[in-house]
Amino acid sequence: MIWNRWRQGLTYLVMSAFLAWHTLAMLIAPAPDQSLLVGTLRTVLQPYLTLFRLDNPWDFFAPVISGSQLRYSVEDAAGTRHDFTPTEPLSWFHPAYIWSRDWHYGIMDFPERYADRAGALLCQKHAALHPVSITFVEYDQGDFTAADLLNGKHPMDPEFVTVKTVKTVECAAP
Amino acid sequence: MRGPVTLTRFARDRFAALGRTWSQLWFQDGPTSPLELVRIGVAAAVLVHYSLASPYIFDLWGDAGWASRDVVMAIRAPWMQSVFYYFGAPWEWVAFHGLFLLCCAALMVGWRTSWVKWIVLVGHISYVYRDPMLIYGVDWIVSSLLFILCAAPVGRGMSLDRVRAVRAAKVKNLEARLPPYGSVWAGACTRLMQIQMALIFFYSALSKLAADIWLNGDAVWIVFTTEEYYNRFILDVLASQYWLVNLATYGTVLIEIAFPFLIWQRSTRPYLLAAAIFLHLQFALLMGLFYFSFVMIMGHMSFVRPEWLARLGAAWKRAMGEMEMIYDGRCGFCVRSMAWFLAFDGLGQIKVRNFRTDPSPIVSDAQMEKALYLVLPDGRALPGFEAYRYVVLRVPGLWWQVPLFYLPLLSRLVGRPLYNWIASHRSQLSSIGNRAASGQQEG
Repeated sequence: MIWNRWRQGLTYLVMSAFLAWHTLAMLIAPAPDQSLLVGTLRTVLQPYLTLFRLDNPWDFFAPVISGSQLRYSVEDAAGTRHDFTPTEPLSWFHPAYIWSRDWHYGIMDFPERYADRAGALLCQKHAALHPVSITFVEYDQGDFTAADLLNGKHPMDPEFVTVKTVKTVECAAP
Repeated sequence: MRGPVTLTRFARDRFAALGRTWSQLWFQDGPTSPLELVRIGVAAAVLVHYSLASPYIFDLWGDAGWASRDVVMAIRAPWMQSVFYYFGAPWEWVAFHGLFLLCCAALMVGWRTSWVKWIVLVGHISYVYRDPMLIYGVDWIVSSLLFILCAAPVGRGMSLDRVRAVRAAKVKNLEARLPPYGSVWAGACTRLMQIQMALIFFYSALSKLAADIWLNGDAVWIVFTTEEYYNRFILDVLASQYWLVNLATYGTVLIEIAFPFLIWQRSTRPYLLAAAIFLHLQFALLMGLFYFSFVMIMGHMSFVRPEWLARLGAAWKRAMGEMEMIYDGRCGFCVRSMAWFLAFDGLGQIKVRNFRTDPSPIVSDAQMEKALYLVLPDGRALPGFEAYRYVVLRVPGLWWQVPLFYLPLLSRLVGRPLYNWIASHRSQLSSIGNRAASGQQEG
């Protein structure tokens, strides 16, 4: 009888502790951690947030909305360049569109991590061209106003885009 | 002496009040139905998403794929774990992926929910951490919702687990009613999920309010000019009516900032829910963010009040009318089949009558010897196959059987002949079942 009361109380305590802990985790995870309080709490909560993939900022389309497109160029043994826009054939309706996009952002944002592997895979994919190298190029969109559209322009027209070479990856000899 | 005593009493009273407020906030006895809606929707979305990934598993998560294991191991934070870190042979990826998809399907239909949900959570986190470059917003949301579902007592309603429990009760007595599951922990987990959804909108709004493109009312225009979401038709409309851009931009922020404050009140909840669902439908239709929008809408189902579902169920029952199934109580096979059939009738639309103990004024015993009958409010009596055919369309829990009864080829080639065979062999089937049951008892 006494044990039942203790057990009920203990259950209530454990449930309450979990609820308080998880609510705190949900509050702290997206909070800017410039403050000492948030920074300290984050240090305590971080293992929990990481282990269960709860460390999420919820900053959708903010503070900036940037448009970038990855293209690549295959240089063959004769020195000819073949240009490709990898997202062109993909359909909006299939998640492969988003996975490919994420891959491209990874290559553009962290070329030292992902460009070499991507280049190697593309060298295999375009083996028929006898590739010598793959050059990744980023097309970074600039401001495009309504007036520009009404004047017949397109957001990817050269005047609105900054082109930047991300990395050149040499293909391994066959 | 009075001072410390008064202080102690004051502190005790304050703590007691705090405790009552805490209990009122969190520990309201409630059914799991809002969480079950979230479970079904999130599991279905995850199942479809990862099923579509099946041809790409080695590209996306394999060692020879887009992200090498060395790179991922070098950049991973402490406490990041993935089962894929420990795989070596290709068959292990395939086997795990198959198991994961099966568990997603099981979670969706609510079969062995208490443990499959953990496999889905571990699997999802494993996929996310194996290739950190592939994440977009919906993966964050899925992990947050799945975690709460793992903590919650889901699977107790709108599930095959519930069907099994109801069937076990009805095998002993077909008119038995298993009370719907409810607990304070279900109420607490529902609240937790609601807070999660409110915080998503709150922080999303905060990040927008700190951004010039949102404050200036231009964000929606910028979205549609990006190559990723480029939509020429929409841009043509917006360019000539730029006030629509401002309306959409400020409207998005308004919904996101209003939601976490106004969703809690009884009078405003329906409107905020409708606004949030509308917002996500726009993301799906105009930006192709189908997976994200669907998962968010399902997360919002945590705000659906159980009484709304009860009212919907009652309205449906009234619209469908009364249905009375008359069966042969002496036929063990018939009773067991009815138990299974009724176990899917979550709304309790079907009444039963055992013609052996309670003869029907509409259907004669001689007719009942040949087939089961369904009596409708207008006095019509439908026999056998026609009875099932009528019922499966009108009982939501039985809709999964509709193809068997309504697709012309299936019903003619499989449904009707199967029913006729079962009806004519039911006594043999009964005795097989009885022998199996007594064999189990002796064992």
